[in-house]
Amino acid sequence: MEVKDLAFFVLAASAVWTGWRVFRVDSMVRASFSLMLSFIAVGLIMLLLAAPYIGIATVFMMAVEMMVMALFMVMFMMNPAGLNPMWMVHQHRLAAATGFITFAALTIAVLLSDLPGNPVDPAKPVIHDLGVELLGNSMLIFETAGITLLATMVGTVILSSRSGRYGPADEGSLPPPLTPGGRPAGRVPEDEE
Amino acid sequence: MTLAAVLIVSAALIGIGIYGALSQQSFVMLMMGLELMLNGVLLAVIGFWSFGLGGAPEGQLLAIVVMAVMAVEMAIGFALVVAVYRKRQADMTESLTTLRR
Amino acid sequence: MSAAVPIIVLFYVLGVGAWLAAALDRAALKLMAGRPLAAATMAEPWRQGDLHLVRQRIWTERPDAMNWLLAPALYLILAAVGMSVVPFAPGFVVADLDAGIVLWGACEALTVVVVFLHGWSANAPLPLIGAYRYVAIGLSAMLLSMFVLIAAALPAESLAVSAIVESQASVWNVVRQPPGLLLFLMLGLSLTLRGPFDYADASDLAGGTSAEDSGPARAAWQAARLAMLVSVSAMTSAVFLGGYHGPWLPGPVWMLVKMAGVLAALVGATHMLARLPPARMLTLLWTVLLPLAFLVLALVGAEVLLWK
Repeated sequence: MEVKDLAFFVLAASAVWTGWRVFRVDSMVRASFSLMLSFIAVGLIMLLLAAPYIGIATVFMMAVEMMVMALFMVMFMMNPAGLNPMWMVHQHRLAAATGFITFAALTIAVLLSDLPGNPVDPAKPVIHDLGVELLGNSMLIFETAGITLLATMVGTVILSSRSGRYGPADEGSLPPPLTPGGRPAGRVPEDEE
Repeated sequence: MTLAAVLIVSAALIGIGIYGALSQQSFVMLMMGLELMLNGVLLAVIGFWSFGLGGAPEGQLLAIVVMAVMAVEMAIGFALVVAVYRKRQADMTESLTTLRR
Repeated sequence: MSAAVPIIVLFYVLGVGAWLAAALDRAALKLMAGRPLAAATMAEPWRQGDLHLVRQRIWTERPDAMNWLLAPALYLILAAVGMSVVPFAPGFVVADLDAGIVLWGACEALTVVVVFLHGWSANAPLPLIGAYRYVAIGLSAMLLSMFVLIAAALPAESLAVSAIVESQASVWNVVRQPPGLLLFLMLGLSLTLRGPFDYADASDLAGGTSAEDSGPARAAWQAARLAMLVSVSAMTSAVFLGGYHGPWLPGPVWMLVKMAGVLAALVGATHMLARLPPARMLTLLWTVLLPLAFLVLALVGAEVLLWK
């Protein structure tokens, strides 16, 4: 029991720490993989919580997801490697206060409420039970998730494709101005100046 | 390891996630905040299942639904980022002012 | 005490297997060139490894030093973790997880991340191109392997690798689903950056993600690649070739023989098969091989439903 507690505290601390680092590192690739480490720590906590399938599946899914996330980070952020210090935030105090108040309120709620105590029997075949449930009583829910994912795929392709119903999606697009109401940012071709 | 400890960790993750989602200017970083919040939710769901349901499989089913939500959020989020970038060449929330008035 | 024995054996097999794979690599080249095989071929990996160890390590301008140092170590750890769910004899396994095959899947996914990090962290163009190319191909190949593995787990009605091996006592999975084995071997080539799936460390990019590696770092990365090859061959033997099942010989010997066979096949494929351009490979993966994996899954499902 001692080892399990120790493992939990180490994993919990690393989940929170790496989650925090996501918004503090300059390198975007490091930020994505920091989030991945947070997910991996949570997945390992789930292993401790007797949910091996969900835990390992979280690690698996998040490794793929954060890999894609890292590519998008490199695509859409200036300074993706963090070679210069960077601070791209707005309403920072409000955000920090909201985050902290959420944490404090949830913690108080957790500490004050009467939590249920009916732990999983370690000998229970939880993966088998989950499989039977997914393709048994809860098949409709499972299939709904599947259809939702299919709809997501179709929607993603439609949203992100360049050719739209009314011509190319990027036709006539201008970069946003650097100051409100100013000229579009970016390089202007010489013959237009 | 008690349920309260697990839930406090998940509350911390949700708190950091809210901070990230509210404070980041870049769309992609903002989505990282959302992901972190879902991370906390996932941990809370499994915590409740592990300590409170005696192993009833419906609790794990909820976790699978949360994972599906994560996948949808990521995919649609990135598609929207790409669409907005094509149309407005914008990668920051400040650049989108159409709905401001 | 007894729990430590499988762990020691695992690292021993990883080490010896990696050396065997490296020697086979060189022997294959000699065979193809029609030159005589000498006993010195077996010692060549050691010599070249030593050479790397004494060479100077070069640094690029402002690399992501932490990730550059970590990448080979993580690759090696993933190889070991992936192999830890494979039983060498009934009950002789490091981690007999109920979700063993999912753990292997997680290791596959993290391998893509590690190879990307290795290419990214050098802060140089050729490694970065290699890393990007690898993510595109590696993620698709990995996705495909999930369906292949689920198809292999279907007859066992379990996600535990030991149960999958037990389910092959009468019929090996390679007989039930031969395309599955081929697809999984393809994934193996992709995980170890080899031959027809070498989009990361290919020679057209002067070594790709390891173009800027030198000295001990290069030796570590190559060793980790070889260890991953051993891990893949262990998983292939367990999931498709019946693991420790076989006549006459004792179980662990069968397992090692099968692993050596898969290793030789993968090394052969590395040197014999040509590589497709990345775009065509991606089309092939998504339009031909992924539907093939679905088909295998459906057929195995029908088989289990009808004959069990």
